[in-house]
Amino acid sequence: MKRRTLLKAGLQVALSGAIIPGAALAEYPTKAFLAKETPEAIREAFGTTDLGETDKIEIEAPLIASDANMVPVRIHSGFDNTESISLVVAGNESPFTAVFKLYESQNFVSTRIRMADSSDLLVIVKADGMLHTSTRPIRVGRNSCEA
Amino acid sequence: MAARTIKIRAHEVDGQVIVKSVINHPMETGRRKIKKTGKTVPPHYIREVIVSRNRRIVMEAFWGKSISRNPFLAFEIAGRKGDSITISWLDNRGNSDTATAKVR
Repeated sequence: MKRRTLLKAGLQVALSGAIIPGAALAEYPTKAFLAKETPEAIREAFGTTDLGETDKIEIEAPLIASDANMVPVRIHSGFDNTESISLVVAGNESPFTAVFKLYESQNFVSTRIRMADSSDLLVIVKADGMLHTSTRPIRVGRNSCEA
Repeated sequence: MAARTIKIRAHEVDGQVIVKSVINHPMETGRRKIKKTGKTVPPHYIREVIVSRNRRIVMEAFWGKSISRNPFLAFEIAGRKGDSITISWLDNRGNSDTATAKVR
């Protein structure tokens, strides 16, 4: 608890002048990142595993990733009021990969992820309090990494 | 404060600001072994990224070990030429850095 406060203070110092002082920061979802299985990771992150399949999430990712350590993904959420976009790589030892909390109208994020093996990439969008998900299989070549 | 680790490029298209950034960071998962010594490199990765536009937080990202080394982050938010985009990160060892760019 103390360490967390110290780390937060460190970030506040780093950001001083960059953010409104006293703005609340969301909590790092430690348990979700520690979970070893996808359903557990989702339950820790969202409190439920009840997700609605949707085709309104656009996932751009290579069919076959040439470098498993750098798989580019681009996510477009088709929902207004998208509150968060989360990435879960089913085949990784720690499947929960990232969550982007969006505080203003925003529908697009892109980053690069590591994949331990060919597996599904789950994208979970929280919009208007509801959870929506879409899945995309990504295959990786021999250059797999440890993630 | 750390050396400059964040590169930001931001430009406006029709009221949308397109931001692309790269953060220089090893993002060690804690599973990589150095072949010569056989030792495992301990985890060292960015956990939190905060993005603000004109001093208001627009996005917070929480990352685990599955984000690539020298992480790339791109996003689009409403905004205008001349806005300031600030990106800050904090890693699991308490290191942090911050950088600001103006929207072109």
